[in-house]
Amino acid sequence: MTAVAELRPRAEADVGPAGDKGRGWRRVVAYTLLIGYALLMFVPFAWTVITSFKTLPDSVRLTIIPQPITLEGWQYTLTNLTPSVLVLFWNSALIAGVVTISNLVLGSLAGYAFARLRFPGREILFLLVLATLMIPDQLRLVPIYILFNGLGLTVGLGEYIAVILVLAISATSIFLLRQYFLTIPRDLEEAARIDGAGFFTTFTRVMLPLATPALAAVTILQFQGTWNGFFWPIVFLKQEGHLTLPIGLTFFREAGGFLTNWPPLMALVVIATLPILILYIFFQRYFVEGIAASGVKG
Amino acid sequence: MTAAPEAARIRSKQIDSRAEAVAGYSFVAIPMAFFLVLQIGVLFYAAWISVWNWNIRSGPVAFEGLGNFERMLNDPIFQTAIKNTLYYAIVWVPLTMAIGLFLAVIVNQKIRGQTFFRASFYFPAIASSAAITVLWIFIVSPNGLFNELRGALGLNPLFEFLGYGPNHNWIGDYRTALNSVIILNAWTTSGTFMLFYLASLQSISNEVYEAGAIDGASPWQAFRHITFPLLKPGHYFVATVGVIGALQMFDQARIAGGTDGAPAYSLMTIVLYLYNALIQQIDPGYAAAVGIVLFIIIFGATLIQRRLFGGAPAW
Repeated sequence: MTAVAELRPRAEADVGPAGDKGRGWRRVVAYTLLIGYALLMFVPFAWTVITSFKTLPDSVRLTIIPQPITLEGWQYTLTNLTPSVLVLFWNSALIAGVVTISNLVLGSLAGYAFARLRFPGREILFLLVLATLMIPDQLRLVPIYILFNGLGLTVGLGEYIAVILVLAISATSIFLLRQYFLTIPRDLEEAARIDGAGFFTTFTRVMLPLATPALAAVTILQFQGTWNGFFWPIVFLKQEGHLTLPIGLTFFREAGGFLTNWPPLMALVVIATLPILILYIFFQRYFVEGIAASGVKG
Repeated sequence: MTAAPEAARIRSKQIDSRAEAVAGYSFVAIPMAFFLVLQIGVLFYAAWISVWNWNIRSGPVAFEGLGNFERMLNDPIFQTAIKNTLYYAIVWVPLTMAIGLFLAVIVNQKIRGQTFFRASFYFPAIASSAAITVLWIFIVSPNGLFNELRGALGLNPLFEFLGYGPNHNWIGDYRTALNSVIILNAWTTSGTFMLFYLASLQSISNEVYEAGAIDGASPWQAFRHITFPLLKPGHYFVATVGVIGALQMFDQARIAGGTDGAPAYSLMTIVLYLYNALIQQIDPGYAAAVGIVLFIIIFGATLIQRRLFGGAPAW
């Protein structure tokens, strides 16, 4: 519930407890802790970036400015991998993109119906959707694997389809969108209906545009979640040409001549993280405020 | 409105509501099909598979009854997986809750740059588990940042005293591998817990603090006797989400320890064991049985927490 409440423009929610007179020494302690901890958050990432520009012998030394600064690591990562970084990147983008679109389409259809259309069995179906949040993914692993194996989805291009089908619609997407549709005043819909618009037209022309903030939140959460996804991709993606960045990173570390060849490995970590970092910088609000909903996913 | 002819209104309403029901069903048809097959249906299928010796190609071979479960409970590696997973949950959840709560209380003060600090603390949670785990493996490797830094800071005698040499391989040594993963995940997830706690903190009204201030409560007393007890719903939510997540720990174990949770099964978790049974051993019946045991453990842990938090007095 909180998640959706927070998607609405926030009022003065950010003020701390009253009676906090901010006595001098307390401020100093608070800011020291804050800045110290913030540094602790960034240092490992900064170290990753620095290391990616180092030579191998330099990578295990405590030099903050690489001596010498080199692009060898990046060159290795960009040219020496099989499958190439470009393929990994494309696979990640393809799977994350399709899964996000699927969640937007199916999630808004179901979310709207659960919020607004009256039909027998609606509440039970919605409860069923919510109840699935309690089912651990791993319990579904074996039956889904056997099912998909029988359908030929564990080989060839089926590997992509398998990952996409498992992630095509999440209860979180439906829940987020339903809660948002509930907050939109009914008058607008009724006006459209009186003008003779059908249910589908009312949905696409009137309701969807009004639900933009919730659609944006679902886009960010799903894209980030799928881009970073590990469990289903490592189960289904086996052909070299189908690997995503996280799976490629895992396999390269295990076998592909990387092992402790840190600079190129760190370059790959940077490549895998950069798109999400850019999203985070621009859409930080959706990450931070949509998290209560995604947390339910476990 | 009341002037409208009653009968016609009722009839048009009936037609309308039927059309609405048809629209409703067609809107939810495809999403519900996904849920009914891939979420609900597969549960029954999992239970069915778990009582068979199941061949990945030909299907059921021989009926096992509870044989798979018996074999599992007698397997020392499974016992290790249970032990590791429980240890991880018992240490990681309270540790991460404490850091998350601490950050939330600090960020909730009237401070400059509140948004920046909140965003920074959540920052490690946005990267993929693969990227962050590989990064961590590097940091705690024999010549990694952690070992170099403690050397430079002159802390080595302390670590020597604890039994760790200057080039200790934290994630590669069975004594410290699981704890290294605990620290890693406390680092990445404390920001998420902070956000949960912040939502909970902001639901506490200022009047309570004003009353506390009138009674002369110090900041620590206010925290101890006002904030902490009033956060009970927050504690419950964070603990539940945390324990469920902890019992499913997989990514970091698989990335750092491979399919066997190396070294010496120190990173073997229940989910890694399940994954191993399906993908490496190719024993679906057995793997399905592990999944059911995992589900029972998670369900049991959730019930216990509900009792703990629901039945307890208001601290």
